[in-house]
Amino acid sequence: MATEYVKFVDVTKCDGCRACMVACKNWNDLPAEQQDFLGSAQSHAKTTADTWNVLQYIEHENSKGKLDYLFRHSACFHCTDAACEKVCPENAISYTDFGTVVIDHEKCVGCGYCVNNCPFEVISLKEYVDKNGDKYRKAHKCTMCTDRLEEGLQPACVTTCHTGAMEFGDKAAMIKKAEERVKQIKDRYPNAMVYNPKGVGGTHTVYVLAEKPSVYGLPENPKVPTSAVLWKDYAQPLGKMMIGATTMGVIGMFISSRIINKGKQDEGGDSHE
Amino acid sequence: MSKPQKSNVKVRRFSKAFVWAHGINAISFFALYITALPMYTEFFDWLYPVLGGPEGARLLHRIFAVAFVTPTFIWVIFDFPGFKRWMKELVTWKKRDIDFFKEVAKELFGFKFKHVRQSFFNAGEKINSFIQIFTAILIIASGIPMWFPEFFPAAVVQWGYFFHNVGFGLAIAVVVGHIYLSVVHKHSSPGYTGVITGEVPAWWAKGHYTDWYDEEVAKGNFPDIDENGNPKKPTSPDSKKKKGA
Repeated sequence: MATEYVKFVDVTKCDGCRACMVACKNWNDLPAEQQDFLGSAQSHAKTTADTWNVLQYIEHENSKGKLDYLFRHSACFHCTDAACEKVCPENAISYTDFGTVVIDHEKCVGCGYCVNNCPFEVISLKEYVDKNGDKYRKAHKCTMCTDRLEEGLQPACVTTCHTGAMEFGDKAAMIKKAEERVKQIKDRYPNAMVYNPKGVGGTHTVYVLAEKPSVYGLPENPKVPTSAVLWKDYAQPLGKMMIGATTMGVIGMFISSRIINKGKQDEGGDSHE
Repeated sequence: MSKPQKSNVKVRRFSKAFVWAHGINAISFFALYITALPMYTEFFDWLYPVLGGPEGARLLHRIFAVAFVTPTFIWVIFDFPGFKRWMKELVTWKKRDIDFFKEVAKELFGFKFKHVRQSFFNAGEKINSFIQIFTAILIIASGIPMWFPEFFPAAVVQWGYFFHNVGFGLAIAVVVGHIYLSVVHKHSSPGYTGVITGEVPAWWAKGHYTDWYDEEVAKGNFPDIDENGNPKKPTSPDSKKKKGA
């Protein structure tokens, strides 16, 4: 791929219409999830296995003591260095040519390692029941409509956005646009920033946020958990080497004592008196 | 073997409680290893259908996880003196333990060696005990947040995965040696029978754990024996047990 594409979300242009949520459900054939009233206009607390994007509604008191009603289209970030991909024991999670991160449900065993290691908590397990009545689970999340990208279409949420809060395009151009937008809105939102966190190698969803990430419940410095790096890059390969080493050790003992030095300990009686 | 036949006189080495505790520990350890193996390396993914799919493997792993926690309690409750002796042996280190390692290396590779007088557990068993205690704590403590992630902060669960991996990686590497020494290594086979029946030949006990054996003789628990394991005195203490023949 010559061009790297990202989804650019300018939350300051979002009017909270939730068309992106509907478009996502529609394109991906996701069932509706009945929810209790959560105390605000927000429909779901966070993304779930059947709701891959959720529009956040945040009532925020700004530095001038005034109310800011903030919206954010939330979905998988498609990290360049994705913790979920790292920890998956079945290699069920992979990067596509578009830089999107997708789950292969044929390989997924529903262990939930990805769910517990995602720095943004966007992955969820869905429980299924097979024809014998047995339950099984699969991890689900936004695919960035990779099936649409493959056909030359843009993600469903982007296509449907009527305020132009979302765009899908060349990474460099999108980031440039984001930086210019931040300059434009600095008067209105002094804390405005581009959110494209380095700890996960940058993301394929780049935001212009009106406030600090924590206001949106996002980590300020998300990264692949150190535990995941130590686990997958060190502990596991070392563990495999160790069992190999001790196995070689006992094979060495066996050969040495039974074949090479055979009988030596028996001459003149061994010391097992 | 040109040597005279060894006597069948046996002595009790392990209590029934220890035999059960050790057996449950061993079986649950391997069951846990096998039910998790396809998660560890994709080479063993064919085990999923054998184990009833990922769900079946997960269920079995949790059942054996509970079993894996019980041996310590079985030992403590039903044979506290034995458990206490284990603890005491683990903290007792003398020159004989250092000498043991020099000689055992020769023995294991089939060279001539001499037995170093050992107490109830030899230095190698003590090292094995330390590693198994350490790794069991790691595995159990990290397994709980992995099982119930909803009750723990994300960081605890994430570190749980790491420590679980470190724990069993170290444990299995050591277990390979532990099993080789008991099942394959020819000088230790009475020890393997012993950990299942609780009893070992007197001559073997005296040869491998001389200090312990002499102690028990002094207490009047074990018969004093000659080189081939036959009692020296015509009348031996009551607790002496004869098997076979």
